[in-house]
Amino acid sequence: MAVKRALASAVLAAALAATAPGLHAVEHQPAGEDLMTIDGEVGTSGGALVVAARGEPKTLNPLVALDAQSRDVIWRTQADLIHINRETQRTEPALAASWTVSPDGLHYVLRLRRGVRFSDGHVFDADDVVFSFGAYLDERLHSPQRDLLLIGGKPIAVRKIDAGTVAVDLPAPYAAAERIFDSVAMLPRHRLDGAWKDGSLAAAWGIATPPGDVAGLGPFRVERIRPGEDIVLAKNPYYWKQDRARTRLPYLDRVTFLVVPSEEAQVIRLRAGEVDVLNRVSAQHAAALDRDQKASSFVLQDLGPGLEYHFLFFNQNDPAPSSVKPKQAWFGDERFRRAISLAIDRASLVRLAYSGRGTPLWGPVTPGNRLWANAEIARTPPSLDAARKLLAEAGFVRHADGALADRGGTPVAFSILVGAGNAALNGMAAIIQDDLKRLGIGVQIASLDFNAVLARVFESHDYDACLLRLVDGDVDPTPAMNVWLSSGPTHLWHPSQAKPSTPWEAEIDRLMQQQMTTLDGGERKRLYDRVQAVVADKLPLVPLVSPNIVVAAKRGLGNFRPAVLEHYTLWNVEQLFWRTTGRSGR
Amino acid sequence: MTPTIRTAMGVGAVYAIVLGAALLSPYDPATQHRDRPLAPPTRVHVVDRDGRVHLRPFVYADDESGPTYPVRFFAHEVDEDGSIGSRRLLAVDPPAHIFLAGTDELGRDQFSRLLYGGRISLGAGVLAGALALTIGLLLGCVAGFFGGWIDAAVMAASDLFMALPWLYLLLAIRAALPLDVSPGRALASVVIVIGIAGWARPARLIRSVVLSARTRDYVTAAAASGASRARLMLAHVLPEAFSVALTQASILVPQYTLAEITLSFFGLGVGEPTPSWGTMINAMLRQELSAAHWWLAAPAAALVVVSLLYHAAADALHQRSQVLPAGAWR
Amino acid sequence: MSLVRVVGRSVVVRHLARALVELLAVSLIAFAVTELAPGDGFGQARLERQLSPAAVDALRSRAGLDRPFLARYASWVASVAHGDLGRSIAYGAPIAPLVARRALNSLLLVSASLAVTWILVLPLGVWMAARDRSADGRLLAAGATALIAVPDLLIAIALLLVAAASGVLPTGGVRGAGFTGAGRLAAIGDLVRHLVLPVAALTLIAAPPLARHVRASMLDALRAPYLLAAAARGIPYRRLLWRSALRAAANPLVSLFGLSFAALFSASMIVEVVMSWPGLGPMLLDAVRSRDEPLVLAGVMLSTVLLLVGNGCADVLLRAVDPRIAA
Repeated sequence: MAVKRALASAVLAAALAATAPGLHAVEHQPAGEDLMTIDGEVGTSGGALVVAARGEPKTLNPLVALDAQSRDVIWRTQADLIHINRETQRTEPALAASWTVSPDGLHYVLRLRRGVRFSDGHVFDADDVVFSFGAYLDERLHSPQRDLLLIGGKPIAVRKIDAGTVAVDLPAPYAAAERIFDSVAMLPRHRLDGAWKDGSLAAAWGIATPPGDVAGLGPFRVERIRPGEDIVLAKNPYYWKQDRARTRLPYLDRVTFLVVPSEEAQVIRLRAGEVDVLNRVSAQHAAALDRDQKASSFVLQDLGPGLEYHFLFFNQNDPAPSSVKPKQAWFGDERFRRAISLAIDRASLVRLAYSGRGTPLWGPVTPGNRLWANAEIARTPPSLDAARKLLAEAGFVRHADGALADRGGTPVAFSILVGAGNAALNGMAAIIQDDLKRLGIGVQIASLDFNAVLARVFESHDYDACLLRLVDGDVDPTPAMNVWLSSGPTHLWHPSQAKPSTPWEAEIDRLMQQQMTTLDGGERKRLYDRVQAVVADKLPLVPLVSPNIVVAAKRGLGNFRPAVLEHYTLWNVEQLFWRTTGRSGR
Repeated sequence: MTPTIRTAMGVGAVYAIVLGAALLSPYDPATQHRDRPLAPPTRVHVVDRDGRVHLRPFVYADDESGPTYPVRFFAHEVDEDGSIGSRRLLAVDPPAHIFLAGTDELGRDQFSRLLYGGRISLGAGVLAGALALTIGLLLGCVAGFFGGWIDAAVMAASDLFMALPWLYLLLAIRAALPLDVSPGRALASVVIVIGIAGWARPARLIRSVVLSARTRDYVTAAAASGASRARLMLAHVLPEAFSVALTQASILVPQYTLAEITLSFFGLGVGEPTPSWGTMINAMLRQELSAAHWWLAAPAAALVVVSLLYHAAADALHQRSQVLPAGAWR
Repeated sequence: MSLVRVVGRSVVVRHLARALVELLAVSLIAFAVTELAPGDGFGQARLERQLSPAAVDALRSRAGLDRPFLARYASWVASVAHGDLGRSIAYGAPIAPLVARRALNSLLLVSASLAVTWILVLPLGVWMAARDRSADGRLLAAGATALIAVPDLLIAIALLLVAAASGVLPTGGVRGAGFTGAGRLAAIGDLVRHLVLPVAALTLIAAPPLARHVRASMLDALRAPYLLAAAARGIPYRRLLWRSALRAAANPLVSLFGLSFAALFSASMIVEVVMSWPGLGPMLLDAVRSRDEPLVLAGVMLSTVLLLVGNGCADVLLRAVDPRIAA
C-alpha cells in the first residue's frame, strides 16, 4: 500500500507536467462535471473480473483497516485527493484537480474536482474533505493512518475555503507533502458523521453492513458480501475518470474477490480458469506455472524486484537479555558484520531459495525503486578469504577443528530467528547456515510463528540475529524514516534509542532529517544516496535479496500493466477490460 | 518363519536402516551441492555407451556423457575440494555424484536426508506412540474397570485433552523455549507434546473394551470366586484390552510419525539442517504442483511403506494372540 | 424420546453437568494458552505499516488487551454466560454472527462426510474382516493403511489437482461464481456438485482408520466361541456376520462414532482451507495467524461443544446398545 509523504515542490511542477496531459480535456466536459481523462488503450465496457484473495476483508472502513485483504477491496471502492501513480511512481491529480503551494512549502490550496459524486449519488465537496481528515486525525479513533498525517509529532490542519477548495497547513516544512494525500480515502460525511458523533465510527462499515450503506469515490462500489466466500464489487456509475474516447470508466461491470485461502488452490484455480488474476505468485509456484503457461489461457509476468527487501540483522539492543549480551561484542563490531556479509553467497540465495526470481542486494533500497536506489553501491562478490581476514583483524581465532572463537576463547555461535511460514526466508536461513559454517561459525535456525518472531524483535529483544522482510510503503524515503532514524520504532536492530549510540547512526539521523525538509529533489537524492552508502558499509542490516514480483492473469485483459507498487495488478482496475466479449456473461 | 517374525524383521530392518544412516547414506544430509539443485536421481549403469559391460557399477558426471566414474563400496567420501570425508557404503569421486533419490531445492542429497530424517520422524512416532499408549492403557483400564467417579474423571480429562487446541499450545511451548535448542531437546519436546496430546483416544477405546470385558461371564465368574480386583484386571481384562492396544499401536505409531511430520511441515519440529520427513514433504509441496520433480515424493512413499509394514506386523501379532485363527469356524 | 427413557434421565443430566465443567476448563486453558503465546496481531501492523508503539498501545487498549489476564477471563465468561461471544479484534464486529454462518457451512460438510464415511466404512470393514484370509481383503486393508500414511493436506491437494485436470467438478467454493439461483432444485444441484470434492477428501482422510477399527472389532467378534458354535450348528455365514458378529462388535464401534465426528471436524479445517470451503477452517486459520484471541476462543469453544456432543451421543448410544453397562 503506497501512502505518504513528501517530494520537493520543485519536482512537483515537472511531475505534474509529465503526468497530467489529459487535464486539458476538462474544459470540454458537460457543465458542472469535471471528469479526469486518462491515457491508455481505449477499451470496451462490460464483463467481469475474478481476483483471488488469500482471505476475506475484515472491514470496509478505511479508517481502521489494518490487513492487506481489506485494503485491497477498500482501494477499489475509495479514492484520494492526490494519488501516486503506481506505474510512474510519481504523484498525479485525483479528487484534487490542481493545487498551489506557498513558497515556504507550508501552505497548500487544493481545488477539488467539480461535480464529483459518491457512489450513492451524493455530491462530494470540501466538507467531506474536512470531515475525513478530522476522522483520520481523531485520537479516540486510533486510525493507523494517523501517524502518517503527523509531521514532527504535530497534525496537519485542513480548512474549508469554499465548497470546491480546501487549504492544508503543515506544522513544519516537509519536502513536497503531496505524497501524504495518497491512500487517505475521502469519506462521505453524510453517511458517517452520525457514527463519528456517537463514537461508533471505528465499528462502522464492518463486513456485515448492508452494502447500500457504504459509499465511496472509487471506481467500484460494494454490491454483495458472502462471508468467507466472495465479495462482489459493481461499477460505480458516478466515477470521475474517463478514457480518451470520453467513455466513463470503469469498463468492467463487476470485480469479484474470490476467497481462496491456500496458495496451491489459487494456482490450481487460475489454471482451471475459475480465477482471472493472481496478484502475487511465489517463486516456486511461478516455476510450475511457467512450465505450462504456453499451452494455457493465462500469462505469467515477472516484474522484477519490487520494494520488498529481505535481510539479516543482529541484535544490538541495549539493554539486552543476559543470554544475548556476551554475543553483542561480536554483533556490534562492524568487521564481524562485514565478514558475515562477505561469506554469504547471494547468487546462491537467489538461485536456490527464490528459484532465480529475485535480485541480490547490497544496499537497502531495491532496484525496483527507480527514482531513489543508489546505483553506486558496490556489488561485492562473496569471498571467504576476505571474510576470514576481517575476522582475524577483529581478533577472532580459528581453532584446529575449524571452529571460530573470539578473543576470550568463546566459540562463535548464534541463532537466526525466522518466521516459520516463509519458505524463501527459511531456505535462505539454511544456505546462510551452510555459508557461515565455512567460517567456523555455528548457526542454529530458530523457526518460530511470525507473531512470536515480532514479539522477540520488538518487545523482549531476546534473539541473536533475525531474517526478516520489509516492504517500503512508497518509493520516497520519508515513509521509511521509522526504520532509519535511531529513535524510530522500526529501527529493527536497536529501536527507539534516546540518542544515537554510534556515530554512523547519528549521521544517518542527520541525513534523514535533512532530506525530509530539503525542497530540492537532486539534493534529497544525494542525501539519501549517502544514507544507503552508510548502511551498505556499516551493515546494521545485511541486505540479501529482493524477490521479484510475479503476477498472473488470464489472457486478453486489456490495459493490464502490473506495477511494483501495491496493488500490483489492480492499481488501474478502472482501465481494465476484456478484449473478447466472451466473459461478459459472468 | 511365522508371519510375526517376518513382519517384525521388516519393521526392524527399517529401523536398522535409519539407525545406520551414517554409513548407508552417501552424503552428509546437510551438504548443499549448490550447482545441482533439484537434480533427478543419478542413474547407475553397468553397461556404458559403447556397450561395454563394467563389473563395477558406474555413473556419469552429467548428462549421461563424458568419462565414467565407478561406484566405490565402503570407501571414503571425497569432497569437491579434494578433502577426504567419512566412510560410506557408496561413494563416487567428484565431479560425479550419486544421488539415489535426487536432490532437493538446495542441492542436498535426498536419499541421505531420507535416512537421517527417518531417524527423527520414525523415532518420534515410536516414542510418542509408546508414551501415549502407556498412559492410555493405564487410564483406560482404570476407568473401565473401576467405573464410578474414577471413570467420570478420566473421561472428562480425555474430553479435555481432545478438545485442547494443540497446535496453538505447541506454538506457545515452542515460542517459550530458548532459541538455541539442540535437535535432541527439540525432538524430546515434540515427542512429549504428541504423546500427552494423544493418550485420550486409546484410553477411550480401551475403556470401552474393558467395560464390556468385565461383564463377560468368565470374568464375573472369577470375581464371584473371590479373585482380587488387581488379579482380575491383570489376568482377564488386561489381555483383552491388549489386543485392542496392539491394533491401536499399529495405527498410532504411523499416525504419530505423521504428527511429527505435520509439526515439521509447519516448521515447528526439529529445525534445519536436521532433516525430518515433514520438512521434506513441505519442500515437495512447495516445489511441485505439476509432478516435474517426482523424486521429491520419496519421503511420502517411504512413509507409506513404513505404515504398511506396521500394519502387517500388527496383524500378525494380533492373530498370534488368538488361540483360534480368525474364520476357523467357516 | 425413547433413548432418554432407555438410559435414564439422570445419565443425561450428569452428562450435561460434566460437559459444562469441561467447557469451563477448556476455556480457561485455551485462554491461558493464547495468553502464553507471545506477540499479538498488532506486531505485523507495526512492522508493515510502521505504526508507532503509542499507536499500537492504543489499538491494544481498544481491543481490551491491556487488562490483566484474570479480569479479561472473568468478563469473557460473564459475557458468554449472557450469550455474547464478544467482538473479534480483526473484524471489529460481534463474533456470534460471524461464526454462525461458517459453522453451518462446516456442519454441512462434516455431516455429509460423516454419513458417506460410515456408509462406506461399515460394509468395507466387515468385508475386510470376513475376507481376512484372502488376498483381496488383505489388499484392501493394506490400501487403507497406505491412505492413513498420506498427509491430509496431500490428499486434499491431489484431489483438487485431479478435479482441475478433469474439469468436471468445481475446484472449490460452495457455489458457482455466476450462480444466480435459477430455482431451488438447481441450487441444490450446484451445492451437491461443490460438496463432492471436499466430502471425497474428508472421506479418504477419515474412512481408512475407521475401516481398520471396524475390521479389528469384527475379527475379535468372529473369534468368539459362541459364534463358532453357531457356525457348527449350521447357521448361515452371512447371517452370523451381519447379525451376531456385528452386534458383538458394536461397543467399540459406537465409541468410534463419537470420535469419528471429532476427527472429521478437525480434518475439515485443512480440507476447507485447501478447497476454499467457507467454513470455520479458513476463518480460524486466519484468526490464529493474526492472533484474534476472541475469535480463536470462540472457535475452540465451538469445536469443544461439538466434540462433547459427539462423545455424549456415543456414550448414551453405548448404554442403549449394551444394557450391561450400568448407568
